[in-house]
Amino acid sequence: MRTASRQRTAVAVALAGAAFLLAGSGWGLFKAPPEVFMGEVQRIMYVHVPTAWNAMLALSFAFGCALAFLFTGDWKWDSRLEAALEVGVVLSLLLCAQGAIWAKPTWGVWWDWDPRLTTTAVLLFAFAGILALRGFVDDPVKRAVWTAVAVVIAYVDVPLVYFSVRWWNSLHQLQSTPETVSRAFHWPLRINAFGVLFLMIGLVELRARLAWQRRAAESAPPLPSGVAVATGRL
Amino acid sequence: MRGVIEGGWEFVIAAYVITAVVLLGYAFSVCWRLWKAPRHDAGR
Repeated sequence: MRTASRQRTAVAVALAGAAFLLAGSGWGLFKAPPEVFMGEVQRIMYVHVPTAWNAMLALSFAFGCALAFLFTGDWKWDSRLEAALEVGVVLSLLLCAQGAIWAKPTWGVWWDWDPRLTTTAVLLFAFAGILALRGFVDDPVKRAVWTAVAVVIAYVDVPLVYFSVRWWNSLHQLQSTPETVSRAFHWPLRINAFGVLFLMIGLVELRARLAWQRRAAESAPPLPSGVAVATGRL
Repeated sequence: MRGVIEGGWEFVIAAYVITAVVLLGYAFSVCWRLWKAPRHDAGR
């Protein structure tokens, strides 16, 4: 598929995700019933849980890209790794903010160092740190290899986050899945899950395009000084 | 104390507003950076 066509497709997928999110959120806010114990506050679940699923999915894709780059050396995997890493960090940050807002009325505190929250904080700081440090390495080969190795190591925390509520005594409730939530909450949860998924896929594709263009600019032959100044490359 | 949370719409609204701001802000940031990036190639 040609570049312009791929970009248009990515924008269309992201817009479809936004439309799904609008529909699912409208359903969750105005049509779905309040939960018996948490009341209206439970409506935060319709954005919090899809964000959690897709943050872990984005970081899992980053892990896959890291392995693919290390085994093949193909630069497209480095671009996709950078994209998935950044999207995963943004979703993880949003996840922590939504979780804190949910925690205050239900637990009485904004934050608690329980296993789920602690492993999520480690995840956020580890991947955000890798993303930040990546910006300080000038050599593209070292940058790509170091990022891939660091992502593979940091990924150990992702299953820890997921299973922390089962393995340890956690204040956080068990994973929300169609099996663990009431049928009345299924549809807004599913629609928003696909909404965040489509948005994530579109954004990862666009962000990978950006990473690819930046790397191409790095490896492009230097322009004559007059041309470089005229085109803003200096 | 009945163990049931009453009210709380302000927390719900805050969570949805933060979600919209972060996702929209990030989407615009990606589009803006892509628009400003130098173009060097035809495919990936």
